[in-house]
Amino acid sequence: MATLLEPLRVTGLVKSYGDVQAVRGIDLAVEPGEVFGFVGPNGAGKSTTIRCILDLLRPTAGEIRLFGEDPRTAGAGLRERVAYVPGELRLPERMTARQFLTSIGRLRTRFERDRIGELGERFKLDLDRRMRDLSSGNRRKVSVLSAFLTDADLLVLDEPTGGLDPLMQHEVLRLVRERRDAGATVFLSSHILSEVQRVADRMAVLRAGRIVASGTVNEVRGLARQDVEIWFETDVPPELATLPGIEDARIEGRRFTAVLTGSARPLIDALYGRGVTSILIQEPDLEEAFLRLYRDGPDATPEEPS
Amino acid sequence: MNARATELLAIPLRAARRAGLAWGLSLAALVVMTVAFWPAFQDQTELADLLEGIPEPMIEAFGMTDFTSPAGYLRGNLYAIMVPLFLAIAGVLLMNGQTASDEDSGRMEQYLAQPVSRQGVFLGRVIGVATWVVFIGLLLLVAQLASNAVFGLDIATDRLLATVVLCLLIGLLHAGLAAFVAGLTGRPGLVLAVGMLVAVFGYVAAALFPLSDVLEPWKAVSPWDWALGHDPLVNATEWWRYLALGVPAFVLAGLGTWAFARRDVHAA
Repeated sequence: MATLLEPLRVTGLVKSYGDVQAVRGIDLAVEPGEVFGFVGPNGAGKSTTIRCILDLLRPTAGEIRLFGEDPRTAGAGLRERVAYVPGELRLPERMTARQFLTSIGRLRTRFERDRIGELGERFKLDLDRRMRDLSSGNRRKVSVLSAFLTDADLLVLDEPTGGLDPLMQHEVLRLVRERRDAGATVFLSSHILSEVQRVADRMAVLRAGRIVASGTVNEVRGLARQDVEIWFETDVPPELATLPGIEDARIEGRRFTAVLTGSARPLIDALYGRGVTSILIQEPDLEEAFLRLYRDGPDATPEEPS
Repeated sequence: MNARATELLAIPLRAARRAGLAWGLSLAALVVMTVAFWPAFQDQTELADLLEGIPEPMIEAFGMTDFTSPAGYLRGNLYAIMVPLFLAIAGVLLMNGQTASDEDSGRMEQYLAQPVSRQGVFLGRVIGVATWVVFIGLLLLVAQLASNAVFGLDIATDRLLATVVLCLLIGLLHAGLAAFVAGLTGRPGLVLAVGMLVAVFGYVAAALFPLSDVLEPWKAVSPWDWALGHDPLVNATEWWRYLALGVPAFVLAGLGTWAFARRDVHAA
């Protein structure tokens, strides 16, 4: 029954450092058994929010509840239910990965020490090398392992794929899905939209300390811009430029480029039978993708009193 | 002690192993080498002649009065400056390494996210470092007693024990101070600055203030005066001297632990 409590709720979270407001009033709720994507460019306040959730930072204002409890006062027991991968990762340099994981295991009651070898193999990690001899990607793996070896009900992962090669990124996302399927809740931060799209059920987009968009992945996806490039066998049909969702259209001979927002369906329908030689639709970086949200977003509205 | 508390203590004990051993062995070597020169020094009269020319207060400031007795020799060469100063520096450096420096570099973060209390993590570090400082003191004491026997330096064991314990307490006091600043601020640079300044000022106040009539009464503010002002190699040590060093060490470390649980943890 206990796991059905809301794993995470953040209400009106503000965190300031002197005059600088890193987080300017965040509200979000994560439901049991979902993967919640927390997306934003670097410096948007993702890590600050996460470090407040872990009680490493003390909020300036607002409230955080983990399974209904305040992480500030609930004490060490609550963290038994939470596992964490820090964004800025530093590990004890003279320890080997195995020693470090064993040490972390001794601090938790539920930790699958027997699986250290298995997961190490899965991530192609040399467990017996000292941390200082490991690449930053390999150190990231150590931290990811430390979180996934716990039996935590809530995994808080701050850019867990940072520094990993695509194969290993994929492996981390697979682990995320596995844990979700096993009933755990995952709070996953990333500055890569496509990564979150692949695993998350719902997501929030953060910018300059505020949430500028949130909802199911499909809903938010609909707000994002994509770069479209299409090559035709003959001249570009001119009506493409006026389709819904198409902006900044340019036609150069047989090449058509534009920015697409929302559903791709009108465009795809219009292309039917048109002699398309190639289509490239790609996601720009996060700032680009949510350009309009950012433009009309928080900076246009006055500061809320906190 | 449960498994978690044991691990929280084991982490700093492991992490400071190399530094702790290096400090202990270096100080032990310093003691052995110093005592090894005693037989040659014993009959030496030239130094006494040399000291003739130096003003008396200056000689006292450097603990070099009566170089020809075993107690005078040890005081002048080891226990007036070197041993207490090294123990103070070791206390500050080791404590800084396991608290503020570990936190500021971000290496403490993954531990703090585990189901352990903030105070628990910090207290483990404090006790771990204190254990290493005590170990350094013990090694020093053993080296002193052994080399005394070998090189025929005859001095009362109880006086020697009291002196080493007092020096050790100076080390623990500075470690406690480092824990206090680390708990309060988490800034390794500040911990070092405050720790070193207090150590140097403490020595200067105890050793050099007596040279000036105006400053002389102020030597009592120095922990060095509480610890060594009565010349513990020669005279019996009053019980309050242990308390004057030990209690503040304890209180400072406790306040640091308390403060650490009440502020933001530094990010890498």
